[in-house]
Amino acid sequence: MSIESILGTLEWTAENSLAAASQWKQASGRRIVGSFPMHFPGEMAHAAGCTPVILQESHEPITVGHGMIYPFYCGFTRSIVDQACKGDYDFLDAIMFGDHCVQVLGAADVVRAKLPNTRVHFYQLISSMSDPWSLGRARETFLNLKEGLEEMIGHSIDDEAMRASIRLFNRNRQMLRKLYEMRRAGDARLTARQMQILVKSSMIMDKAEHNRLLEELLAEFDKTRATAQRGVRVYLSGHFCQAPKTGVLDMIEECGGIVVDDDLYHGQRFISTDVDDSIDPLDALAKWYLERNLKVPCPTRVDQNADWENYLLDAMERSRADGMIVLMAKFCEPHMYYYPEIKEAFEKRGVPHLLIETEHELNSFEALRTRVETFLEVVKRQTAARRIAA
Amino acid sequence: MKSYVMGIDFGSTTTKTVILDLKGKMVASCVASKGSISAEGVQVSMDGAFAQAGIAQKDIARTVSTGYGRRMIDVADQSYTEITCHARGAIAMFPEARLVIDIGGQDSKVIAVSGDGLVQQFAMNDRCAAGTGKFLEALARAVQVPVEAMGALAMSSTEKLTVSNMCATFAETEVISLLAEGKSKPDVLGAVHAAIASRTAGLVARVGNRNPIVMTGGVAKNHAAVHYIEQALSAKMLIAPDPQIAGALGAALFALDEVAKPSAAMMDEEDGADEAMSSARGCATQPCKTAAKLPANERPLLGPM
Ligand code: SF4
Repeated sequence: MSIESILGTLEWTAENSLAAASQWKQASGRRIVGSFPMHFPGEMAHAAGCTPVILQESHEPITVGHGMIYPFYCGFTRSIVDQACKGDYDFLDAIMFGDHCVQVLGAADVVRAKLPNTRVHFYQLISSMSDPWSLGRARETFLNLKEGLEEMIGHSIDDEAMRASIRLFNRNRQMLRKLYEMRRAGDARLTARQMQILVKSSMIMDKAEHNRLLEELLAEFDKTRATAQRGVRVYLSGHFCQAPKTGVLDMIEECGGIVVDDDLYHGQRFISTDVDDSIDPLDALAKWYLERNLKVPCPTRVDQNADWENYLLDAMERSRADGMIVLMAKFCEPHMYYYPEIKEAFEKRGVPHLLIETEHELNSFEALRTRVETFLEVVKRQTAARRIAA
Repeated sequence: MKSYVMGIDFGSTTTKTVILDLKGKMVASCVASKGSISAEGVQVSMDGAFAQAGIAQKDIARTVSTGYGRRMIDVADQSYTEITCHARGAIAMFPEARLVIDIGGQDSKVIAVSGDGLVQQFAMNDRCAAGTGKFLEALARAVQVPVEAMGALAMSSTEKLTVSNMCATFAETEVISLLAEGKSKPDVLGAVHAAIASRTAGLVARVGNRNPIVMTGGVAKNHAAVHYIEQALSAKMLIAPDPQIAGALGAALFALDEVAKPSAAMMDEEDGADEAMSSARGCATQPCKTAAKLPANERPLLGPM
């Protein structure tokens, strides 16, 4: 398959997550476990013989959901509630709810009320990551989750099955990270939209199938030489539970930015960390949960050893980015809470950055385009001014 | 002989054209209003400017476009955003200015600028017409006075009223209920202008107040708007005799730079930019050793914009 057709297949899955999952259910006969982002270990559902699918914000306007959730909830939670009200989740065999923020908890309540016959696993992962008991508590939560899944499938999940799933998922993350590395180095030309498609489809598609397509894709990229790209190298930060609108990503690149790296959930955040396949699987998952937060700090977790703004400054340096664009989902509390610190740190170092607040309803990019284009013009002109001054 | 440059600001409600000779002297400026994003408006504005200068398209060495419709202008060799161009134009009008407040038909922006007209920071309304010319227009309609007359009427207000909604539709309801309470048109219009001023003060706060301030854009011609904004900011503003053409002037000045020094054009045309970017790359996050610092009194580009 050519690069285009592989990306085409993955794009269809990414953009039609529920249709893709339900087709897969019919074809494979596997149970589909829908999960909330951002901390559920899909490998556990996979080891139970199910296919884990991370629930996505839909592009549909929010209608009936309005009656169930306040308009000042983030677009992701409002869209999830709306989809549940519209019956879109009826085909799911189970839903895994984590409680990483207050809004997601509200959404979980509505979904539970709307789907009384769907099996629900609710888990509360410890949010304080650097206490002596953090690891043990995370393991306990994962053990409960495992027991819940075992009850659903009617038998226990053995450690070897867990390790096999862990290896499969690790392989997936490794290949995606390789693609990120190739893009950063300029060896693979992947737009921000394509990168999102690669990661987002991994949240939906059967992992073995996804791995097969990624292998083909990597082989294709190895055959071709990428031509150098010109423009302002941009680092994208933010957006946790939902994927940024691909129109916004396209617009950034149309304005002359080249997205070279990100810390998005539909990006590096999702693939940053592998699970140790040599130790007890539950220990390994608990370890993964804590390590992951050091790799790409999450503003919904509290960690004495992680510092998001320093992480971002370092990450920008590693990817040789010229400026950062922060994508903040409107009403996303954890992000709003941390943003001032990021702003301060970036201002102190004089690193150019632009904040864009995104909305479920926002489809007109014109005014946004003016801001992005100006930002990129300014980064260019300041660079020129520095050069002349030198 | 191509001895002129042209700047076209294709805005949401009007199109402005400025023509400069190669010494930078303005030889023509023309504002045409033909409704939203109108190609006809562009033609009228260009033709008007050509007629004033007594020249034709063939005499133009380079054209830079700006404004909402900047990418729709075929004759343009290059386009920049209205923020970049307004900053440049405003500084050309008032070199001492460090903050530009531009309120146009569809958007309002506040830009912090350096002495050479480079944008340092900016904030703009990016969702609705709150605090723009459109807001004033909608409310002039509600009060049933012509837009051109609303400023003068507002200046004769005697009672302080408040219009608190920034959404033009809600504000209209508020205005109608004030009129129904028997409040006078001048007082209601005073409140409408105060509302725009408070919105502008909010944008200024996002960028950080600096002085001197220059105001550009069509709304700068409205004395009441200027008065209330000055009151809200406790500062006097500089207003050009023709504040609407700042963007077109800035665009024309960029065109002039690019004719004079083709390397300036290259800054935005691939190679030059790329070379400059890569020589400074890696310096963004590090205390940089290779690239020169900005002069000590100038802050680098910062913050949310
Ligand atoms: S973390 Fe932000 S985006 Fe995610 S559910 Fe909470 S508020 Fe919404």
